[in-house]
Amino acid sequence: MDRLVNIENVSKVYPRVYKPGERLRAFGSLLLGRDPVHGAEVLDGISLEVVRGQSLGIIGENGAGKSTLLKVLTGVIKPSRGKVEVHGNVAAMLELSAGFQPDFSGMDNVRMKASLMGLSNRELEENLDDILAFADIGEYINEPVKHYSSGMVVRLGFAVITACKPDLLITDEVLAVGDESFQKKCISWMQKFLKQGGTLLLVSHSMYQVQKLCQKALWVHEGKARKYGDVFPVTQAYLAWHEKRSAREKEAQIKATGAGAYYRIEKFTINGAGKDETPEFAMGDDIEVEIQIYSPDDRPPVGVVGVVRADGTPVYGVISDNEGIKPLKLSDHHYRYRLRFSDISLLPGSYNLRGHSMDPEGVRLFDTAEMVFSVAGNTKEVGYIRLPHEWLDQD
Amino acid sequence: MTPGKNKKINGVFFRNLVIHQVKQDYLENITGFAWLILQPLILLAVYSFVFSTIFKARIPEAGDIGFVPYLAVAFWPWIAFSEAVIKASSSITSNAALIGKVAFATEQIPLATVTATFLMHVTGYLAVLLVLQLMGTDIHWLYLSLVVPVIILIWLFACAIALFASAIQVFIRDVAQILPPLMMFWFFTTPILYSASYLPASVQGIAEWNPMAWFVARLREFLLLGEINLDWKALIIVLLIGLFCWLSIRFFRRFSGHFEDFL
Repeated sequence: MDRLVNIENVSKVYPRVYKPGERLRAFGSLLLGRDPVHGAEVLDGISLEVVRGQSLGIIGENGAGKSTLLKVLTGVIKPSRGKVEVHGNVAAMLELSAGFQPDFSGMDNVRMKASLMGLSNRELEENLDDILAFADIGEYINEPVKHYSSGMVVRLGFAVITACKPDLLITDEVLAVGDESFQKKCISWMQKFLKQGGTLLLVSHSMYQVQKLCQKALWVHEGKARKYGDVFPVTQAYLAWHEKRSAREKEAQIKATGAGAYYRIEKFTINGAGKDETPEFAMGDDIEVEIQIYSPDDRPPVGVVGVVRADGTPVYGVISDNEGIKPLKLSDHHYRYRLRFSDISLLPGSYNLRGHSMDPEGVRLFDTAEMVFSVAGNTKEVGYIRLPHEWLDQD
Repeated sequence: MTPGKNKKINGVFFRNLVIHQVKQDYLENITGFAWLILQPLILLAVYSFVFSTIFKARIPEAGDIGFVPYLAVAFWPWIAFSEAVIKASSSITSNAALIGKVAFATEQIPLATVTATFLMHVTGYLAVLLVLQLMGTDIHWLYLSLVVPVIILIWLFACAIALFASAIQVFIRDVAQILPPLMMFWFFTTPILYSASYLPASVQGIAEWNPMAWFVARLREFLLLGEINLDWKALIIVLLIGLFCWLSIRFFRRFSGHFEDFL
């Protein structure tokens, strides 16, 4: 296999450089041929390889070390430990405007940047029309770059890269800038680049982009490789981790507000199954929900029942009050709602059923109960629910 | 291949860097590049007024050549040298944004600054020599072929100092403050405003090993006197400058991989 990048056990420690004394000491140890080691560890033992034609997406939270990893890969910084090998013609765009001098015209800057990327004058002349067409900034090309909008700068920067015809293109979140139509242009250029045998190493927060453009993914977490392999398992694990984390945050919030609940939920079941069970349904089944609420002043409380995804995204919810429904009084202080969702059109997946109790006026929310259930099935539809539909044209 | 070894000097990029450096100073001037020649000539007029008319400066060795040509022949190469070193010393820190984002051979930045400064001042130097000739000084134009290698040696010397200074400046920012007075001291201890014979006998032995003093003496001999006094010392100077250049590039590369951590 044709290996473009191979890095083994790479670590990076940024030396402490805030005080002049620390800088002086770091200078001294470099002078003696030693590495200044004390400081923040940003990367810790990362290994990966990129094979020609197998694009790699690097994902992770802000501050996880993704950009540092790219800087190590492109050779902007030296790793503190480990081995870095890069083969072939590599173009890196860590920042599209890097290398632009604001006082010079767009054309001057194109020449400068093209030569910085290793293009000869002849190669530049051959590609100049394509570059200008891609940048699409018209007469402004002869104006100083300081008069450009930020979008124009980015377009010009990307346009120069398109002329480099690299084997491996390393990019850091550059698709997040520029307007919609420019982003589309970039994506379609990248897809063409990939189709022609190019390889991409991409840092992105968009799992959609990573899944669309890459075959492999690396999830960097606190400077370490948390998961590395085929793109789908890695991105799914990352998303699940994210969902779980934001769900935890929400739960903490719910607990904080529901403390000392007044109108308390006493019982919450699905088809008779209680809190510790995970009922399973098929699409088209019926779900019966029961929610029993304690009312301290014996007035009938309002009940809410809804379905959310595991990450808390609401799918559907009803409020008894709005539908003119009063609860059944079981005994003094105890009220019950029961409702049935029939022929459920939820797509397969894991859901939470949530019940809330509100005061009789339906103004304040008091308590929350939650149960997990799943819908099984085999379907290629996407989303949360099935919308009734029919295809109108067919050959 | 590691990314570090990928960073070679890139001719096209280096040329563009130099062109940009030259353009930068004149970009928004109405007269543009005319200043390349006008500025040294105005300066020459100022010096001849100050030194010949006000100070009535005389140097015995200069004889009937006069003080102003004696000064001018040595002064412009020095200005090129000194300005190049001072400008280049902060060139790495002022290009931090580029160095942090693109991997390339960073030594090209101080080297381009030195080269651009030399190109500008050499243009002015030629204009000054031409005007001196027109004013009646006998310039030995044939010896220009010997002046070129001397200027190249001064350029190499400036490149080496610039590599040391710019690399150290990343770690110790005080270099930017220390360097100008140091260069000023060097200027006054080099026989540019005066002749080497003015130096006290006790320091003349040391002063002989000041490469700038050696260069200045040769330039005066070639251009004004039409003499060639090259001996074994010339060979040693060339070898020393070569060694110094080699050391400077090794020094610079030892640090350049770590610049990003300190910028």
